[in-house]
Amino acid sequence: MKQQAIDPFQAVGDPNRRQMLRLLSRESLTINALAENFDMTRPAVSKHIKILYTAGFISIEDIGRERHCMLKQSGFKQLQQWIDYFDQFWAVKLKKLEDMLSEKTKKL
Amino acid sequence: MMKKMIKYNWFFEQSPETVWKYLTTSELMAQWLMKNDFELLLGHKFMFKTNAHPELDFDGKVYCEILEIDPARKLVYSWKCGDGLAMNLDSIVTWILIPKNEGTELILEHSGLGELKNTMLFQAMNKGWDENVRVKMGNLFNIKPQNETTGN
Repeated sequence: MKQQAIDPFQAVGDPNRRQMLRLLSRESLTINALAENFDMTRPAVSKHIKILYTAGFISIEDIGRERHCMLKQSGFKQLQQWIDYFDQFWAVKLKKLEDMLSEKTKKL
Repeated sequence: MMKKMIKYNWFFEQSPETVWKYLTTSELMAQWLMKNDFELLLGHKFMFKTNAHPELDFDGKVYCEILEIDPARKLVYSWKCGDGLAMNLDSIVTWILIPKNEGTELILEHSGLGELKNTMLFQAMNKGWDENVRVKMGNLFNIKPQNETTGN
């Protein structure tokens, strides 16, 4: 049952599939919800999803009776790291600003 | 669901005018925030410098442009950073100052963090795509003379 590997560049080479990734970058979608964004038949959408899935760009999860597609990319982990980094960064900086301002007030 | 905006509400005992001074004076900003060449001018482009974080693909430089100034009330600048080659983070920092109980409520919003264009994913994808095309083109050029030879 070995699935044939798909060239990831071929997978993202198609504008419809890139659009699917863009939509999935905003939120996870059911296959039906994803299909609504495209003017193509349901089997055609499924074919694109299968290619993205096989190439490792998305994961598919069965929740209830629906199949949900979500982005599966290390790029997103990295983005989350940036957000975590700046979240921490601002907390530290704001505390520093507070300390500086209260220090200044004391002197007056 | 991934958080796409960082938001802080911070209360200061000082007036909005005082807090504003600390948000918009280069030497003061250097003391609590980062080294910079900030000037309070609409459209002014400036840079913050901090330590590099290679694990984040962050070279420690933040490229900014002042987008909005409303003295002692609101300051907005763009906030772009990356690894020196690509801007991986293309975001916006907004400061809002509200007078409150003889002090200031300072709201910090760091937004625009979740768009796909900002992620390394898409840049890596685009970069990889370009490189792949280039390799394929190269292969075509190599193969072509052979094809012509066999064709003749």
